[in-house]
Amino acid sequence: MSSASDSSGVGAGGNASGSAGDTMILNGAAITIETLIAHGVTDVFGIPGGSVLNLYDELFSRTSQITHRITSHEQGAAHAADGYARATGKVGVAMATSGPGATNLVTGIATAYLDSSPVVFITGNVPTNLMGKDSFQEVDITGITMPITKHGFLVKDINALEETICEAFRIARSGRPGPVLIDIPKDVQIAETEFLGGHPLPDLPRRQPDQSELQAAAELINSSQQPFIYAGGGVVLSDSSDLLCQLAEKLDAPIGLSIMGLTAMSSTHPLYLGMTGMHGLPEATQLNAEADLIIGIGVRFSDRATGNINSYREKAKIIHIDIDDAEIDKNVQADVSLHGDIRDILPLLIELVEERDRRQWLDHATDIREAMRDSILAPSEAQASGLTPYTVINAVRQRTDDSTVIATDVGQHQMWVAQHYAFNQPRTFLTSGGLGAMGFGMGAAIGASIAKTQTRTVLFTGDGSFHMNLNELATAVRYQLPIVVVILNNGVLGMVRQWQTLFYQSRHSETTLDRSTDYVKLAEAFGARGFSVGDAHGLNEVLDQAFSSSEPVLIDCRIDPDSQVFPIIPPGGSFIDMIIA
Amino acid sequence: MNQPTQISNFTLSILVANRAGALSRITGLFSKRGFNIDTLSVGPMAEDPSLSRLIMTSSGDEVTKNQIIKQLAKLYDVVDVKLI
Ligand SMILES: Cc1ncc(C[n+]2csc(CCOP(=O)(O)OP(=O)(O)O)c2C)c(N)n1
Ligand SMILES: [Mg+2]
Repeated sequence: MSSASDSSGVGAGGNASGSAGDTMILNGAAITIETLIAHGVTDVFGIPGGSVLNLYDELFSRTSQITHRITSHEQGAAHAADGYARATGKVGVAMATSGPGATNLVTGIATAYLDSSPVVFITGNVPTNLMGKDSFQEVDITGITMPITKHGFLVKDINALEETICEAFRIARSGRPGPVLIDIPKDVQIAETEFLGGHPLPDLPRRQPDQSELQAAAELINSSQQPFIYAGGGVVLSDSSDLLCQLAEKLDAPIGLSIMGLTAMSSTHPLYLGMTGMHGLPEATQLNAEADLIIGIGVRFSDRATGNINSYREKAKIIHIDIDDAEIDKNVQADVSLHGDIRDILPLLIELVEERDRRQWLDHATDIREAMRDSILAPSEAQASGLTPYTVINAVRQRTDDSTVIATDVGQHQMWVAQHYAFNQPRTFLTSGGLGAMGFGMGAAIGASIAKTQTRTVLFTGDGSFHMNLNELATAVRYQLPIVVVILNNGVLGMVRQWQTLFYQSRHSETTLDRSTDYVKLAEAFGARGFSVGDAHGLNEVLDQAFSSSEPVLIDCRIDPDSQVFPIIPPGGSFIDMIIA
Repeated sequence: MNQPTQISNFTLSILVANRAGALSRITGLFSKRGFNIDTLSVGPMAEDPSLSRLIMTSSGDEVTKNQIIKQLAKLYDVVDVKLI
C-alpha cells in the first residue's frame, strides 16, 4: 500500500472502460463513493457532519446506485451496517463525521470486531494541515480503534485513496472477517486524481490444509468413542452449514453450538443438541463435558463457552479447526489443529473419517434431555400466572418463518432466545456475542431488514437494553421497516440482577429500573404502534396484529422480575457446577 | 496435559511495512494482550526503504511465545516474523 506501488498495482488488472487514454479525474469524495459502488455496495448507514460534507455531496448525486440511511446515532449506524453484514455475508458500510461522529461508532466497531463481522467504517477527519492540533472535532480515530479493528487506514494522500478503499474491503472480508476503518481528511476528499475504476481486489490467498494434519485429525476421530462437535460463528461466516451436517451425519456425532454458532445447524436436526456453555442446554453441555474428543470448528473456546478450561479438556482430546491461526492454542491447547477455511477443510476431512453408528452416545443425550428439560422449564412456567419468557418466544416463533431474522439485545432475554427459539436457517440470529453490547439489537434489526429489502425482522430486547438505543425506533419508522420489537420487560437489569441473586446474596444493587416509561406512548410518539401485554391471551391478539402490520410495532411484554436463565454454570466453573433451577 | 509453562527470553525479528501507525499497532498489540516487550530497536531496511526491521526481545512461556508470533503475523503491516 505504499504510494510507490499505487497505480501499477490496481490499474493493470482491468479498467472497466478498457482503453488507455480515457482517464477519469475525480475528487476524493467521488472516488470513495464510486469505489463503494464498484464493490457492489448498495446501502450505507450514517450521519453527515462537517468533515464528511463532501462525501455526502457525492452521495446526493448517486442516489440511484447507493442508498444512504440516516440513523439517530452513529452507534445505530454501526450496528445497522454490522447487522446488514451478518444477515447477508456482504460487507456492511457505515459513515460518520470526525470527532464525536467517529467516537460514537466505537462500540459498534468493537461489536463487529469481537464477532468477526465484515464492516467498513468510513470517517471524515479535519484537513491534514489541522491534524495534530486538537482542531475542532478532531480525534485520532485510527488510534482509538487500533485494538478493535482488523486494520485502520488514515489516508493522507489522494493518490492512495482508491487502492486503500479496495484494500479495506479485501481485509474486511478475507480470512477471518472483521471491521476496517478508513479515515479520510477533508482535504483528501476535495483533492483530485485519476480514478481507475475501483475494482475489487481478489481475496487474500487462503492457507490450504496440510495432508498430515488432516490424517492426524481423522485418526483421532476414527479412534474416538464419544466425539462431540462444538461449532461456532466460523461455520456461519464461511457458509458451511451443509458441510457441518455432512460431517456430523457421517460420524453420527452430536453437535453443540456456541452462541455465535447458532443457526449453523437447524434446530430440527436429530444430531443437534443446542447451545453449549454457560447457559447451554444440559444435554449439550453434559455431552461436551463427557466427550473423549471435542471437534472445535470455527470456535475460539471462549471462557463463556468452556468455563474452567482445565476441567473442560480433562477427559477430551481436542481438534481445533479455524481460519485464524492465532486462535489455535490461544485459549486451549489442541491435540491436532487444522488451520484454514472450514469450506476447504471439511470436505477433505469428511473423506478421511469412518462412518459410524453411535446410538448409545446419542441416546445418552436424549435421556438427559428428558430428565432435565422439564425441571428447567416447569418452575418458571408454573410460578408465573402471567407471561413467561418461553410463552412469549414460542408465540412469536409460531408467527415467523424460518427465514425471519431475529435480533436481540443483551441480557436474560438474549439467552432465553438463544436457548429456546428454534433457528433453522443460517444467518437468522443477530446477537452481540463477544462484546455483549446492550443497544446492539435495534440497529442490527434495522440493518437486517434493509439488507433483505425491508422484510420482517424481529427484535427481542430487554427494558434496560432498549433504553440504550430506542432512538433508532425513529429510523425504523422513517424507512417504514416492518420490525416487531418485543420487549421482555421485567423492570430490571435482569441478567446482572440474576448474578446478584446467585452470587452476591441477593444484594440487588442498582439493578431495579423503576422507570415509568410508557412504551405505548413512546412508540406512538416515534410514529410506531405500541402495545402492552401481561397475559397469554392478550399476547396472541397483539402478535396477530403486529405480524400483519407492515410498520414497526413495539410490544411491551410484562414478565416476572425474578425469572432466571437456567441452566447457568457460574463463571470459571465447570459442567458439574451447573445450576439447573 | 499442560504445555511447559517455563518462562524464557527470546528475540524476534519483525519485518514491517513502513507505514504510519505500524509501530504503535505492534506495541499496542503487546499491551492489549499483556505480552512483554523487554527491548526494542527499529531501523529502515537498507535494501528496501518501504520496509523497517524491528528487533525485539520478549519473554514468556511457550504458549505466550507462539501467541506473540501468530498475533504479530496477523497484523496487516507485518510482512514477516522470525524467531532468532
Ligand atoms: C452497554 C452495556 N452496558 C452494561 C452491560 C452489562 N449488562 C449485561 S446484561 C445487563 C442487563 C440488561 O438488562 P435488560 O436489557 O433489561 O435485559 P434483561 O437481562 O433484563 O433481560 C447489563 C446492564 C452490557 N452488557 N452492555
Ligand atoms: Mg430487563
